[in-house]
Amino acid sequence: MAYVATRGGERAIEQSERLFREEMGGFDRNRVNEVKQSLPYLIDRVMGEASLYDEDLAALALAQTGGELYEAVLLLRAWRTTQPRLQVATPIEQDTLFTHRRISAAFKDIPGGQVLGPTLDYAHRILATDVLQGETYAPEPVEPAAEPSPAYQPSVSAWQAENDLLDPPADDATKGNEIPDLTREPLLFPSKRAHTLQSLARAETGGVLALGYAAMRGYGQAHPTVNELRLAEAEIAVTHPDGRQFSAGRVKVSQAEVVDKKGEKLGIGYGATFGWNEVKCIAAATLDLNSPGAEKGSATEEEFFLYHTEGVESSGFCIHFKLPHYVTFQSSLDAIRDAKAKKAAKHTQPSSSEAVGQTKSEPAE
Amino acid sequence: MLATPAPSSSETRDNTAFDALLWALSRPGLPRSLPEPGEASIIAALLDRECRVHSADPLLMPEIMRTGAELTDIEHADHVFLGTMAGIEPLVQIATGSDFYPDDGATIIIRARLGTGQTLRLTGPGVDGSVTVQVDGLPDGFWAARMSHMRYPMGFELFLLDEDQVIGVPRSTTVEVL
Amino acid sequence: MSLSTLTKPWEAMSYGFLDGSAKRELRRKILKSVAVPGCQMPYASREVPMARGWGTGGLQVSLTLVNPQTRVKVIDQGADDSVNAASIRRFIARVAGTPTTMDTLEADLIQSRHRIPEEILREDQVLVLQVPNPEPLRSVQPNMSIARQMHADADYGRMWLQLYEQIVRSGRVMQGASYPSLVHGRHVMTPSPIPRWDVPKLHMAKHLTILSAGREKRIFAVPPYTRVEPLVFSDVPYKIEEHGALTCTRSGTKGFFMNEIPQDDGSSAFEVSDSEWGVKTIRANDREAETRGETWYKDGEMPQ
Repeated sequence: MAYVATRGGERAIEQSERLFREEMGGFDRNRVNEVKQSLPYLIDRVMGEASLYDEDLAALALAQTGGELYEAVLLLRAWRTTQPRLQVATPIEQDTLFTHRRISAAFKDIPGGQVLGPTLDYAHRILATDVLQGETYAPEPVEPAAEPSPAYQPSVSAWQAENDLLDPPADDATKGNEIPDLTREPLLFPSKRAHTLQSLARAETGGVLALGYAAMRGYGQAHPTVNELRLAEAEIAVTHPDGRQFSAGRVKVSQAEVVDKKGEKLGIGYGATFGWNEVKCIAAATLDLNSPGAEKGSATEEEFFLYHTEGVESSGFCIHFKLPHYVTFQSSLDAIRDAKAKKAAKHTQPSSSEAVGQTKSEPAE
Repeated sequence: MLATPAPSSSETRDNTAFDALLWALSRPGLPRSLPEPGEASIIAALLDRECRVHSADPLLMPEIMRTGAELTDIEHADHVFLGTMAGIEPLVQIATGSDFYPDDGATIIIRARLGTGQTLRLTGPGVDGSVTVQVDGLPDGFWAARMSHMRYPMGFELFLLDEDQVIGVPRSTTVEVL
Repeated sequence: MSLSTLTKPWEAMSYGFLDGSAKRELRRKILKSVAVPGCQMPYASREVPMARGWGTGGLQVSLTLVNPQTRVKVIDQGADDSVNAASIRRFIARVAGTPTTMDTLEADLIQSRHRIPEEILREDQVLVLQVPNPEPLRSVQPNMSIARQMHADADYGRMWLQLYEQIVRSGRVMQGASYPSLVHGRHVMTPSPIPRWDVPKLHMAKHLTILSAGREKRIFAVPPYTRVEPLVFSDVPYKIEEHGALTCTRSGTKGFFMNEIPQDDGSSAFEVSDSEWGVKTIRANDREAETRGETWYKDGEMPQ
């Protein structure tokens, strides 16, 4: 019974998982809390890519996976997908965002003012090695401004639209259940506007950056000016079945508008996500700006960037190449050997075209 | 970790109903048993708020509305409940999808009597050679109207319902009236 | 009306992991895929607790079909004990309480990656194939929108041209696994990366096959008694892998698809790829009960 003796599959996978978990050891609510408190930007990034806003669950996912980001996002997505969709919240208008930071590169000053807010942009990136020597890192206290900046402001593009510098997107009256939901229907092309924005919102940050950066460097037609970048909190308003509206709480959101000259007006690109993630919003908005009229198969074409920035899918497919592929490999070997034998049987010198001619191989599976 | 969840009674009913529908559509003309007579188990197994439904039978409305599906006119519906048909008129209004998205063609549920009446010969995918069935209670010209309204791969799927018995006739099936 | 009417009693996990909404969508799409054999139907494809590309499409179909009586077999590359097959089998049993088996004949539902078992499947069995890339036109057209247009127009000229070019260059079609096949005379389909050896098993089969790509969000099917014809030219016949004369060094079985095992001396040994067929053969050799069923291939050949 030689075959049966080799059946170690079940035991092997169990033990390999134990080995992985052994390194991190057990954990409890305290570790989850520590992750949540000490790594808010990581939590934000994970919540955005998971399209699930829950800091505790995000921290739990990070603790459970030892910070393996793709695994953490997958854990959250797989949890999210089984949750019932009870309600669709009221759409959020830009001027209702409780704004912490809002800057524009397009104008020196903007209505509502440049609000720098929290950022590392002007920090000197020096590693605080003192901490490793036993020092405590204590940030300097913030000194409040004499006059608080306004918490609510319109978008810069609203001013531009008023001055006939750009055509604002047509008002979308789609409401509630009618709003297309990417998690419940497939992404098809040309993509619905809602699907495009949802897809970018949950895209993998590094992927969006890579393709957005390619567009910025010149593999796109439009060069972004950051019209507005905003970090804010949004009020989630839902309607009780009896008709009353109530707040289900606030969520952190970030959004970017980028613009470029387009004929006699400005073209606009938009990106937004859960949590505060500036790089992702600017890169996503840049892709959105470049997408109209982009050549099929180019990095700025909607189908190309939406498919390839989907982190759960791309990372899953990438690691699936670790799975055995010996059946397909055997099948290819058979074709190669037979073709070789045929060639040998012909006893002819390969013509130059045969020697150079490459058979395009099938896509990896 | 978590204990293995047990199926609720509605889960069991939906699973059984879908099993019957899948079998019926995979083997056109061969009857299968639904968990109970009537459309209710089909409605629960297939419909929810992502669906657009038309029902010619007002008695089915409460059941359909409970699923959260949107009620709509026949040509925009992805699921159509025709009850007992009086004439063939509704048939030509049914959505058949497009060459791009044949899946936009609708699923139709009709009341009929099986094992009596007109004899039909079915051929096509799912049929081993050919199969004959007797169906009564469909309006005159039904099968000719079905054929002229569809251009494969566009088309619609039929479930003929007699109490708890169901037969499936997908668009890929050729139906000859004998 | 209250909030509670909008939802249902809380459960730690739905039966079969997927919630009702996911299952209903899959049911609707499976029906459509059966109705238009070989045509790729888009579906939302929910995330499941396994990485994309690891059988999540097949898993979603299996989880929709199973009930506590469904006996499930899972194979990867022909083997039940392959680590990912073991993982999927364990998951299905854990979330759906299904009995499992390694015996092809005992199974009600078989989820497989890259193989169809050697024993003939019956009318009452369902085969679920995991699909990495559902688009047979990908090698000639990577853009999915354009490829969909080509399917809509039944425009398979570039596919034929590619096969023709391979014959001119190499004297044969170089496609290994995933051999493109015409289903019901209308849609070109990838049979998933099963070897060419397995494609004829789909043609006019007694069982229903459902193919599902979770990452790419497409589902398609081959109903029973449906034509599945590999794309070939009339003067260059379809060629399966030359495994008909190979013998399994472990079980002694002959005439089935084999795994090649490189040997230290530079030669190759072979082991039958359908591991359970190997086990059954060993049992029969040991004069235990004969449990082998009818096979599609007889003496290394597929009867016409």
